[in-house]
Amino acid sequence: MASAAIRRGAREVKPILSLDLDESRKRVLNLYKAWFRQLPYIVKQYDIPMNIEQCRSVLRQQFTNMIAYQDVRLMDMMVIKSQMELKEIVNMWKQKGHVMAYFAKDTVEPKPKDFLSKFLSGKD
Amino acid sequence: MLRQFLSRTFSRSLPCSISQFSNRAISSEAVAETTIETRPTVRKPDEVARGQLTDFGKYVAECLPKYIQTIQITAGDELELLIVPEGVVPVLQFLKDHHNAQFANLVDIGGMDVPSRHNRFEIIYNILSLRYNSRIRVKTYTDELTPIESCNEVFKAANWYEREIWDMYGVFFSNHPDLRRILTDYGFEGHPFRKDFPLSGYVEVRYDDEKKRVVVEPLELAQEFRKFELSAPWEQFPNFRNANPAAEEVVPEKK
Repeated sequence: MASAAIRRGAREVKPILSLDLDESRKRVLNLYKAWFRQLPYIVKQYDIPMNIEQCRSVLRQQFTNMIAYQDVRLMDMMVIKSQMELKEIVNMWKQKGHVMAYFAKDTVEPKPKDFLSKFLSGKD
Repeated sequence: MLRQFLSRTFSRSLPCSISQFSNRAISSEAVAETTIETRPTVRKPDEVARGQLTDFGKYVAECLPKYIQTIQITAGDELELLIVPEGVVPVLQFLKDHHNAQFANLVDIGGMDVPSRHNRFEIIYNILSLRYNSRIRVKTYTDELTPIESCNEVFKAANWYEREIWDMYGVFFSNHPDLRRILTDYGFEGHPFRKDFPLSGYVEVRYDDEKKRVVVEPLELAQEFRKFELSAPWEQFPNFRNANPAAEEVVPEKK
């Protein structure tokens, strides 16, 4: 009975790359390794004001942000997009500004909190 | 005898090539349905082409029953073949290589997003037969995560068109030789032609004089998304109240 319900609930879908969760997990790990190995070259070639440790922590952050998504096809799609971004970096298609966009947004002015600064900034 | 047999089988197996219609009567139903349009400002559908394309659509549906779901005529005389996503390559290959179709030119690949549908994206292939001076449209559907087979093997022109669809809608084409962004900037996130992508985007880009580089900053939307009521209380085009429907389905006759 339960299995029938599961069968009714489960939908047959076309795989993107991986057939099961193990395979897509391997793809994610490979991608992480590829990014990790590229980091020293990124720092050197793009001449960004960051050291490798900072890059590594940002990289790790990017991957752990997505840890909740455990769907095979979703993981595949994100791996594909990330792979394309890595390729853009390796081929120097991106510029410094694109690479720095991964790091903390230190140029964004904080929103006005109290009444007077809201008034002075001209926003509600 | 042999030649007679051959010619008979040949003509039977190819009953409705679009070339053979010049001496054939227009399908009677097409004429009976629509009255002759005389108003000078209204486009007159080509009834001859309509009859030919209707019969051609029926013939293709007969040849490829596994892939073709619906045949329809839109705007009076434009043929559309609605196919399943698995059938993109076989159907396009058939239409390209069949001697009496020869749709050898891929004019464009278009996309459409209807978020309320189960398969929200429609992929539309516009193809042209120079030999028979005829254009038809092949439509298929997909959702965000279902890949579509790339037709780059059939039409080399599909390369950039598919990259465009990938960039604008996020539909993945499997077996594409070089799938990457084509219109958006490097580092751009999201797919701009999706209906749930705001018109202003999520980020804005400017040159920062202190940092000496281009910075990306999140954008604050000026106002919340509002649902505008766009329909008027009065009837806007009363002359077109009884106009032809946008798409008329062609039902292949049962045998």
